[in-house]
Amino acid sequence: MFKNEEMEINMGPQHPSTHGVLRLKLKLDGEVITSCRPCIGYLHRGVEKICENKTFFQGQVWTDRMDYCSAVANNLGWAEAIEKLFGITVPRKALYIRTMLNEFNRLASHLIWLATHGLDIGAMTVFLYTFRERERILDINEAFCGSRLTTTAFRIGGLREDMPPGFEKLVRDFLAIFPDAMNEYETMLTENRIWKKRTIGVGILKAEDAVAMGVTGPVLRAAGVEYDIRKAHPYAAYSEMDFSIPTRMEADTYARYLVRLEEMRQSARIIQQCIDGMPEGPVMAKLPKVLRAEVNEVYHPTEAPKGELGYYLVGEKGSLNPYRFHVRAPGFVNLQALPKMIEGSMVADVIATIGTLDVVLGEIDR
Amino acid sequence: MNAPVQMTILQSSVMAILQAVAAIIFIFVVVPMTIYAERKVIGHAQDRLGATRIAGRRVGLTGFLNKWMWRMGKVPLLSYWRGLPMLVGDIAKMFLKEDVVPSKADRAIFLAAPCLSMIAAVVVFAAISFSPGALFTLPKWFPIVGGLPFNGAMTDMNVGLLFILGIASVGVYGIVLGAWASNSKYPLLGGLRSGAQIVSYEVPLTLSLLAPVVLAGTLNFGTLTRVLAVETSPLAIPLMVVGFLVYLTCGFAETNRVPFDMPEAENELVAGFHTEYSGMRFGFFYLAEYINMVVVSCLAGAFFLGGPWLLPFGLHQFIAHVPVVGQPCALWFVLKIIFLLWVFIWVRATIPRYRYDQIMAVAWKYLIPMTLVLVVLAGVVKFVA
Repeated sequence: MFKNEEMEINMGPQHPSTHGVLRLKLKLDGEVITSCRPCIGYLHRGVEKICENKTFFQGQVWTDRMDYCSAVANNLGWAEAIEKLFGITVPRKALYIRTMLNEFNRLASHLIWLATHGLDIGAMTVFLYTFRERERILDINEAFCGSRLTTTAFRIGGLREDMPPGFEKLVRDFLAIFPDAMNEYETMLTENRIWKKRTIGVGILKAEDAVAMGVTGPVLRAAGVEYDIRKAHPYAAYSEMDFSIPTRMEADTYARYLVRLEEMRQSARIIQQCIDGMPEGPVMAKLPKVLRAEVNEVYHPTEAPKGELGYYLVGEKGSLNPYRFHVRAPGFVNLQALPKMIEGSMVADVIATIGTLDVVLGEIDR
Repeated sequence: MNAPVQMTILQSSVMAILQAVAAIIFIFVVVPMTIYAERKVIGHAQDRLGATRIAGRRVGLTGFLNKWMWRMGKVPLLSYWRGLPMLVGDIAKMFLKEDVVPSKADRAIFLAAPCLSMIAAVVVFAAISFSPGALFTLPKWFPIVGGLPFNGAMTDMNVGLLFILGIASVGVYGIVLGAWASNSKYPLLGGLRSGAQIVSYEVPLTLSLLAPVVLAGTLNFGTLTRVLAVETSPLAIPLMVVGFLVYLTCGFAETNRVPFDMPEAENELVAGFHTEYSGMRFGFFYLAEYINMVVVSCLAGAFFLGGPWLLPFGLHQFIAHVPVVGQPCALWFVLKIIFLLWVFIWVRATIPRYRYDQIMAVAWKYLIPMTLVLVVLAGVVKFVA
């Protein structure tokens, strides 16, 4: 009379908490997930192919639109990859400003992660608190490069402009309020019993699995692997900065939460060092009017807020644009760990796990 | 208590209709105000303003009003006043939206389910007593029932509590049937969660109300609340406090509010059981949730916070000499309801949501044993005192 049947359910692409147009094909036994297949590509715009038809200067605009929550980090990777391709040396002041903006961007991205992660689990208020601080970071972006979200912040060889007047005050004001704001978020969540119940032991990804799947960023560090490209292969001005890499051993959602929070504190520290030790001098290297590539290839990894963001560029002799352009997007690689993390858990854990992976479909689909 | 007044059948039926209308007016004043308060309180808790206006359009009623207000040199009060007009806008929106019935849905049940939820929520008010005896006496000129007392309770029946619990538990059918009849997967999951959750939480809810019943020795709403407010022994106070907290927890679960808003957990199940509903049918579910909040607050106020018209634990004797508030009056009830509704909103702004299995664990592992102990202790206190 009764028969057991698994229910197949589509989560997404239109769903309030798949963070964009991610679609998960879930098989449910009651509320327990027996299998999960992420389906991607709903936001594919062909960024890589488009960039192959743009000049090296123009391509950066497209990197904004990949991970739209951390546009500056994408810009930085692009600019540095091309500088590597052409062997351009960037002035030290430009490196400092780049580092500072990149860390601001990491804060903005982590704030969005905290907001949406909290909202997914039902902590609505944190969402609005974090957006209050993120708004200030966007103001800083705006003061520096005129736009808030899709920044196109840098130029190949340095920066277009030096810091505008009053910029330093904006930064220092932000640094003054930020520790209190962090404490405010922590009051809402860190010791909250329900928050702990929802996150501890949920979405476990052990270090060996994470490494095997190429997972990077806070997800890897929360599994106990101390790998951060800012330390492992320093770029921009990170070799001159003093900061630590937070790691945890638990490898669950709560550990990733704590790791990201600590990263935000470290980011604030780096920003402080940048603004205090800001060198004098030019912000732009001497460049030819037109960059013509040699036969050459370069892979440049950077530590984007979500993990290792690598740009692979191949130059063609005399060409104005890259022969081949490929992005190693952290979200794309991290997402493939999702089935492993959620199979056998409940529907509500899927939401918590998507939140903790911090996926942005713009960079996954590209 | 006043001596019962003899009424003819015609008089008593007219009186019943008047009281029903009064109760419905009460509901439809309190519920929109709760929705408004929710927007405002959560807004301020979250460092923003909440609703401040409707309108922004140049056409329609609001556009018309705005135009004339601006033309008269005034800020358009009617559409801007602290977001209050938004309530009108909400209701208008619900009525005007298209009422979609999915083609594969079980039509009859799909249409009946929201009504069931709504009716179950409203009918409960029949047994809630808002004031001891008569609220006021109707004036002599009133046709048919002139000069008769207007009672604070519609029906002061001797099994009032059973009636309330029985009717309230019908509400879950509205949710489960609506979910099932939608013939869609997310509502189905929401409905199943809701069925399991509400049935589970009804057990500790009822048991936690049993402790006051044991202490008072009656099921009659009016008598029970009076006994609890005035005649409870000091020994019973800790019991009542714990019972209140347990009851409130279960109340959150019964009304599907955060942190127990599993059935409609919007971040998991889109909108849970009412995903396929639109227009006023959705509105019925929406209103039923808020009416249930009012009911839970009423019961909590009545059973644990000293009843509809007094302060709890015999505290009222200390302010007995104060005019107006010192007398037993319905004002206390309103204050208690407002406070409890505020707690509902406050909790929503503060804490995240439990997972489904954790909710069930809370009910069966902690709340039910706790309430059982409470009932036993209530018996002991009754025996000792």
